[in-house]
Amino acid sequence: MIDKQKLVKIVGTGMVSDREEDLEKYSSDISFVNRVRPAYVVKPGTAGEVQKLIDLANATKTPLVPVSSGAPHFKGDTVPGNGGSIIVDLSGMKKVEFVDRARRVAMVEPGVTFEELIPLCTKEGLRLNMPLLPRKSKSVTGSILEREPVLMPGYQWDMSDPLACAGLYFGNGEEFRTGQAAGPGTLKDQWKVGAVQKAPYGPGTASLHRLIQGAQGTMGIVTWMSIRCEVLPKMQEPFFSASHDLDQLLDLMSWLIRLRMVTECFILNNTNLAAIFATDMEDYQRIKETLPPYILFYNIAGYDYFPEDRIAAYIKDIAVMNQRIGLDTGKSAGLISADGLLKKIQKPCDEPYWKLCLKGASQDIFFLTIYDHMERQIAAMKEMSEEIGYSPTDLGLYIQPIVQGTGYHCEFNLFYDPYSYTESDRVKDLSNMATKSLMNMGAFFSRPYGDEANWIFNRDAATTDALRRIKKIFDPNHVMNPGKVCF
Amino acid sequence: MALSKEIYRELEDIVGEEFICSDPAIMPSYHGSDLGAVVLPENTVQVQAIVKTCNRYKLQFSAVATGWTGSFKKDIVYIDMRRMNRIIEINEKNMYAVIEPYVITAELQAECFKKGLHFNVKGAGSNCSAMLRGHGHLDQSTSGDDRNHLAIEWVTPEGEIVRSGALGSTDEWFCGDGPGPSIRAILTSAVPPGVTPGVFTKAAIKLYHWAGPPKYDIQGLSPKYTLPEVPKNMMARYYSFPSVEKMWQAEIRLGENEICMELMGFNVSMVAANIATCNEDDERIFKRLNKEKKGPGFFVIIAGNSDNDFAFKKKALEQIVREAEGESMKSLEDPETEGILIAQCTRVTASIRETFRAGGAFSSIPIMSQRDLTIKWAIGAGEAKLPLIKAGHIVDDGGAFFGWGVEQGHVGKTEIFCKFDPANEKAKAAVEKWSKEQGRRAFDESYFALMMGEVSDDIKANMCHYDKWWIALTRAFDPNDVAPQGGPLV
Repeated sequence: MIDKQKLVKIVGTGMVSDREEDLEKYSSDISFVNRVRPAYVVKPGTAGEVQKLIDLANATKTPLVPVSSGAPHFKGDTVPGNGGSIIVDLSGMKKVEFVDRARRVAMVEPGVTFEELIPLCTKEGLRLNMPLLPRKSKSVTGSILEREPVLMPGYQWDMSDPLACAGLYFGNGEEFRTGQAAGPGTLKDQWKVGAVQKAPYGPGTASLHRLIQGAQGTMGIVTWMSIRCEVLPKMQEPFFSASHDLDQLLDLMSWLIRLRMVTECFILNNTNLAAIFATDMEDYQRIKETLPPYILFYNIAGYDYFPEDRIAAYIKDIAVMNQRIGLDTGKSAGLISADGLLKKIQKPCDEPYWKLCLKGASQDIFFLTIYDHMERQIAAMKEMSEEIGYSPTDLGLYIQPIVQGTGYHCEFNLFYDPYSYTESDRVKDLSNMATKSLMNMGAFFSRPYGDEANWIFNRDAATTDALRRIKKIFDPNHVMNPGKVCF
Repeated sequence: MALSKEIYRELEDIVGEEFICSDPAIMPSYHGSDLGAVVLPENTVQVQAIVKTCNRYKLQFSAVATGWTGSFKKDIVYIDMRRMNRIIEINEKNMYAVIEPYVITAELQAECFKKGLHFNVKGAGSNCSAMLRGHGHLDQSTSGDDRNHLAIEWVTPEGEIVRSGALGSTDEWFCGDGPGPSIRAILTSAVPPGVTPGVFTKAAIKLYHWAGPPKYDIQGLSPKYTLPEVPKNMMARYYSFPSVEKMWQAEIRLGENEICMELMGFNVSMVAANIATCNEDDERIFKRLNKEKKGPGFFVIIAGNSDNDFAFKKKALEQIVREAEGESMKSLEDPETEGILIAQCTRVTASIRETFRAGGAFSSIPIMSQRDLTIKWAIGAGEAKLPLIKAGHIVDDGGAFFGWGVEQGHVGKTEIFCKFDPANEKAKAAVEKWSKEQGRRAFDESYFALMMGEVSDDIKANMCHYDKWWIALTRAFDPNDVAPQGGPLV
């Protein structure tokens, strides 16, 4: 095992821990991945320290597990795959280098959370294209590296958005900057002429930022990221459309995205909408009873020029579409107001985190799919729930259009009591069964975590082989988070 | 040197005798090169078989679709993709099209228009492959560069078939990323050198809503076409501004307020080229527009999805332009001119007029990056063109550059070119010198680095040694070195 003093020499006293309680925190998470205890937790404060840690890991063949968000963790990607690993906790790297209104971009270190960055963006008249209700401790960089779906699909031009550029060290310890940030010269040289590291492509032919996303820290460690921001609207009008018929809502949603009428836009079922607002189980039941099965939420924004005109025009046009589809639009669904939901989703989740509020834990099954398959996949999930004894009405559902409507993120949230073996086992079984079955029904698990990753990669041997060849180039000693993804 | 009989026969067995040729009289007609053979596969299976054969005999190959420019090593197997010209699918609900490499933009766009859809058309024009990575007139609302590709089917240099993203796992084309890290990182059809080795045999590209008519009712005969009526809820204008700064401010506001379907920063020379039907006309119109303009400007097309949408966009456009002290060029408001500009600039049919017609050749410096930054550089590059104009080496465009916002101004494209007579050696040399100097200045002053063609070692070193990674990647997938750099893939 690596000598602790070598780590101390790099990051300083107090930034390396092998205390039982600290190691325990990183040994497991809310997912079902096996418990593995790391050897140390180190907290680098600078990019230079990160590079030295990677060099040391290569010299000693020690696995590194990068972590940028605070607890609780949900997907098993930050639990070591191997014993003797070092957790590289980046949550202390909290510098916000800039928020640039004119160029609509911000640059941050990996420890910066949504809660910390949102007020700085708001002050400049900008906002982030956020995931749905991230927990307070969620790193912005972490979320983007995971390719989490974002609430405003119209502004997601590419799956990699809102990543602009990133600074990183590959697994072999070499520094790299993606996109426009690659050069010429240093970041400071670029700032002097007004460059703000906005364009994601390149340098050259490759777009290597795509390799570090979805990699779960297996390619290298990101030490800063520039993030595409959107303009803060002058006015907003959120609405609900609710129905028993999911197809009607999908139809409307696809047109709202296609015609670029809306900003935030997604569907929740009554379980999830109630869970988001409930303070306890009783409250949850009370809210849920008032809600229709499926609720489409959308927001119309008006910007600096004639915001009233823009909003009024789109309200009129959407009314025509609703009439065609046979839907009603309103400002509330049961006890929940559209304004209330808008307010909630434009910031991180209040404590306690909504997915933990009901029963203490949630297992999320999520995949990408297309319009044509979704209803069949949802029906199948309900059938499997029934079969395994998990009430289908307790299943949370979240449908998020992605990349300007070219696909959908479909997520089932299985709330359960982690202290009940029966419930945990049932949810674990359901999760395994559903992943296998849904794959056969066209569900694309683009972000595979935990044990399921093996089954998912087994379906595509050619891509898996290609990824392994690539991995060998950037992390030849296999020190970056071994045991994750397909490595 | 032609291929050995044995290899020729193997390739012939794959594609059939009609679709292979090594006749020394024919070979130079392909890019003036001394090729080993030309083969024309019909499908992915044939491409794979050709590539595997090349690997077995350590023969180098290069695949070309519609092509643009290219240099090819002697004796290589040239895979001409022209038979792979099928539109596989236009998925309206999920807004993507799946195409083979030889589907040209004009064909795909015509089919998409009928369904109320369109896509990013590259500046190279409507006769080029629709699969191409690049930028064009419609970037403002349809993105650009490598950001319109979804899943891709790729025959690797070793002859394996990799199907990226959802395609590999589920047979669906809607997503090219994952599982896990995205191999889209290396799947790109950029300008050589630097294309992904191997062959792209199919790709899904993003589609966007088209608010225009299902078909343009074009009238007249080449080169004088007209569109009798401006389509409903569409409008085209050219605005000029008192300064670059004012123009830039208007461009940014139009992007932030999501007003324009097209915002093309044509200079007046390019507008003149678009309208004119011959060089004499071009010069006359250029001079007239030059007098009429206030300063630098851009061309816009707005398209409303409804009367309400159109009314809002028109009102906001006019207000934004007014605030930036911009003015519409009245002579271009003539409905006949407006109509044909809408048609030409959405179907991108005038690229040849803009580039080749005046001089016969052009040399360009295109930059895809942060728009305000590249404009700063382009002002200097434009000034550096003036002595060349004065000396008569290049066509007079007033020292202009052009460009546009991409993704509603989030990023941008700036380009500057010199139109010249390729038979004029002095002009050619002067343009080459200008190009080299301006490229170097961009690097020395930290604006950007040009990475097309020969790139010097100091530039590579200052760009995070990007070349080293690319070489490592290509070697990992091409251990037999059968897919050389230098030929255009698409």
